[in-house]
Amino acid sequence: MTSSAPKPQRGHFNLLYFASAGSFTGKDQESLPAPVPIGKLFSELESRYPGIQAKILDSCLVTVNLDYVDIPTQGEEGAVIQEGDEVAIIPPVSSG
Amino acid sequence: MDKIEHLRKEIAQREAELADLRARLAAEEKLSCAESEKKLDDEEWKWPLEEHDYQRYSRQMIVPNFGLQGQLHVKHAKVLLVGAGGLGCPAAAYLAGAGVGTLGLVDGDAVEVSNLHRQVAHATSRVGMMKVDSAVAYLKGLNPTITYNAHATHLTPQNAEEIVSQYDLVLDCTDHPTSRYLISDICVLLSKPLVSASAFQTSGQLIVLNNPPGKGPCYRCVFPKPPPPESVVGCGEGGIIGPVVGTMGVLQALEAIKLIVKGDHLKNGLINGDVEEVKQVGLLLFSAMGDVPFRTVRMRGKRKECFACSGDGTALTLNELKTSMDYVQFCGVNQPVKLLQPEERISVAEYERISQEHRSHLLLDVREKEHFGVCNIKGSINVPISRFTAHRGQGSDLTDLIPADVAPDSPIYIVCRVGNDSQIAAKKLKDLGVDRNGERFVGDILGGLKAWKETVDPSLPFI
Repeated sequence: MTSSAPKPQRGHFNLLYFASAGSFTGKDQESLPAPVPIGKLFSELESRYPGIQAKILDSCLVTVNLDYVDIPTQGEEGAVIQEGDEVAIIPPVSSG
Repeated sequence: MDKIEHLRKEIAQREAELADLRARLAAEEKLSCAESEKKLDDEEWKWPLEEHDYQRYSRQMIVPNFGLQGQLHVKHAKVLLVGAGGLGCPAAAYLAGAGVGTLGLVDGDAVEVSNLHRQVAHATSRVGMMKVDSAVAYLKGLNPTITYNAHATHLTPQNAEEIVSQYDLVLDCTDHPTSRYLISDICVLLSKPLVSASAFQTSGQLIVLNNPPGKGPCYRCVFPKPPPPESVVGCGEGGIIGPVVGTMGVLQALEAIKLIVKGDHLKNGLINGDVEEVKQVGLLLFSAMGDVPFRTVRMRGKRKECFACSGDGTALTLNELKTSMDYVQFCGVNQPVKLLQPEERISVAEYERISQEHRSHLLLDVREKEHFGVCNIKGSINVPISRFTAHRGQGSDLTDLIPADVAPDSPIYIVCRVGNDSQIAAKKLKDLGVDRNGERFVGDILGGLKAWKETVDPSLPFI
């Protein structure tokens, strides 16, 4: 997980994948175009990583710049992610 | 042989001598303790802690803001740890060391050798013993002056109230979503703060819930929906690095001590009015391999519509928890995959024959590369399942799934750990047209490496 990762390029934001989100996508983080509403980001992720919606996104929590944000319900767009933001996909870890 | 027998006898004799010495020492100590207590009684001990407490706990008592009051809180605290595994062992060790007056442990499992790399309160000599008994044996060695309660059972909706109500703070050190929701619910209903931690592979999470009781968010507020059961992988299958889970357990003990020293565990939701402010709740994320190993994300407070803690008339009651909550159903049961028809699957015996006859074929092992590296079937090629699930539809290049030098009519057999992922991979290849409408066999090996170990090669070191 890298906030010391390179700053996102202009017009982009950094998306961090924690725990099982990281193993599902095979990535710790990536840079994606901004601005984008969270609802749209989720459908974009589903087309990049088929199955991620049901397996990860439906049960994860999402933060923008370390603050919890509500996940929009079906059909809504939700908060808009801005250029330079750091967004985290945080699925629950259950083991111990 | 004689030599071995002789050594065994000698060890037994020495052990008997040692046991005798220990018994004599214990008797002497008891005598001298009684004498010194009598002496002290005569002089009347005038300090709030006992003499041995000052010796044992002085190093933490002199830390700023801990003090005598902090130690008194710790001494009178009753803390329950649910789970005596990778989190519970280090957490219990530090809480016992700190002098928590009553420490309860709940666990229905026995110690296995594969636990020992991380579950530091257990021992090779105690493999097979109940984890709670093994942990208490270790903890008594560390601090014999406090009270231990061993609950050798799993926490269930039926026994949760009876067990949890004996304590004033709970640590969730379990390993499955079902227990995480149950523990959170019972803590909400009995007004107990909850320190929840978890760890998997190289990641960990830590959060203090229901603190103060009735005010802070519960586990359901943070994760209202459990992850789908097929994505829940335990440490037995997915692995865990010892110090990662150890770090989380130690941090859990620290959060518990912070709470106890402040006396927050005694507030019990009984504060009048709304004077008590709920502090910002943070979820700590530990990524051991990351450039930034620790992050804290700021959580919202309680969820208004929370099923457990919303506090309105529709919320869960103790009676409902006991009689009608089915946590297994709520979290879902992992159904075996059924993607292939019987004629698309072969047995391990059949595959053994095929390989002995040197028939041209391709055997793909779709387990993760670390599993493959530990042991595999001779001649198999490793293509992890994630490469199949991530593969983009038809018309795309297949060389990342099937080596280019394989004859286009060679049958393809797919094997995994127990025979679930192998079906997913075979189905994907068929969807991509690799079987050329049935001209080429594409199928999997029933029961995977587990069946191979059971019927063909019992020497496989791990599956």
